[in-house]
Amino acid sequence: MAIAAKRQEASVSPLAAPQLAFADATLALGGKTIIENLNLGVRPGEFLCIVGASGCGKTTALRLAAGLYQPTSGAVTFDGQPMLQPRREIAIVFQDYGKALLPWRTAAGNVSLALEAGGISVTERPARIDALLRKVGLPGHAEKYPAEMSGGMQQRLQIARCLAQEPKALLMDEPFGALDAMTRQGLQDEVLSLVAASNATVIFVTHDLDEAIYLGDRVVGLLPHPGRIGIELAVNLPRPRDQLATREHPEFLRLRRQLFDFIKATEQ
Amino acid sequence: MKGGAIIWRVASFAVAAGFIALWQLVANWKLVSPVFLPGPDRAWASLLRGFSSGDLWSKLIGTLEHMAYGWLAASIAGIAIGAMIGSSRPMRTYVAPSLEFLRPLPVSAIIPVAIAAFGLTQGMALLVIAFGAIWPIMLATIHGFAAVEPRLYEVARSLQMSRLAVIFKIALPSASPDILAGMRLSLTVALILSVVCEILAGLDGLGHWVLLSARAFRSADLFAGVILLGVTGYVTSVAMSLAERRLLAWQASQR
Repeated sequence: MAIAAKRQEASVSPLAAPQLAFADATLALGGKTIIENLNLGVRPGEFLCIVGASGCGKTTALRLAAGLYQPTSGAVTFDGQPMLQPRREIAIVFQDYGKALLPWRTAAGNVSLALEAGGISVTERPARIDALLRKVGLPGHAEKYPAEMSGGMQQRLQIARCLAQEPKALLMDEPFGALDAMTRQGLQDEVLSLVAASNATVIFVTHDLDEAIYLGDRVVGLLPHPGRIGIELAVNLPRPRDQLATREHPEFLRLRRQLFDFIKATEQ
Repeated sequence: MKGGAIIWRVASFAVAAGFIALWQLVANWKLVSPVFLPGPDRAWASLLRGFSSGDLWSKLIGTLEHMAYGWLAASIAGIAIGAMIGSSRPMRTYVAPSLEFLRPLPVSAIIPVAIAAFGLTQGMALLVIAFGAIWPIMLATIHGFAAVEPRLYEVARSLQMSRLAVIFKIALPSASPDILAGMRLSLTVALILSVVCEILAGLDGLGHWVLLSARAFRSADLFAGVILLGVTGYVTSVAMSLAERRLLAWQASQR
């Protein structure tokens, strides 16, 4: 928990230079402006959640941050350098884990893919794979193929592969959107503790407002057509978060109300 | 279920045995002249004689060589060209229609062209067999490479994998079910064209053996050759299926 406390201190400091920054970033695809003049800085170690109605461009914003898209104008920078292409130090957790995993590789093989790309030697890989699978709660499943695993396990596996990149930033695109409520809550807590241990910066896209407040240090709500920032809320809830106590906290309820009102207004 | 499978297996053998018995009867009753139709007993005797004298061995090896070289050449070229075309959208758009036009062309039609260009040589046979066998492999490879999950390419980009690594770790394994299916189809094509080339060009092999036996009215030898060709086709296709099942073990878990 000492790590978690340190992490929070780091993220609370408003003076820290942003690690990942959108500077007037605009993206047009096929003549349609998806994101317009987005200005947003994410501090090192911060857990930023992006919410918004469907079609507001939150996934697009994440893809810009990942370097999978290039802004039409403006810039997206990481550690002060423009993101001209994806980088290994920024890991992406996709929502559709079923498509993002290699079906012909076992769980161990899928984690190994990231280690191979990172130039980790053959002799070092088994121990690392073992530790990573243990970390995400999949010990003993190393030799299973993704198709033999449940949705929650597959998403854990994808997270393990992302952690194998030893990322400075973790970009998560509605990672638990396809999972049932119980699995989802379990994974939320696991992600919080994994992130606290790794000290990674996180951008977490979700359409679940409760999830955003529960996880984040800050929640940004986007307005649609074109996507731009509509609301920005600092979440001053004590860490570590707790599924019951945090969700019953008066501050949680206040933020939840504010965010719901915002989303409702955007949908009209 | 297991018991049922055994019964079906026994029944299928019984049917095969029935056909052979019928063949024997037809031959014994001389419904067809023995000059044209030997009984299975005579065909079998000829088969044994051919192998003990070594004649049939060398013919079988000849055919297997033609088939294997042509098929391997077709596989290597088909996968390489197919990968190139399949992994690029412009290439697919511009080149694929011409391929669809060339594919149904009966390969036997180009044999005279190949003979005119290369003579009655092993090189000609290799070219014809490879040309015929390349189509199923190449088209399957194109399809397999075009159908790679785009998300996996994004995973590869975020891992900053090299182009070579993307081909060998993502695209090729993803396309492997298609490629192997294409290779299985090509195996049959390669056998057919081996026989045709041996007949037309007089190259050493079972095709030539069958032709000479027919011309000399040695019907038992003729049938021995035909049986051996059938067995060759069957055994190679079973071997290919086994290899496929082994290589694609990961697919079993998906079904």
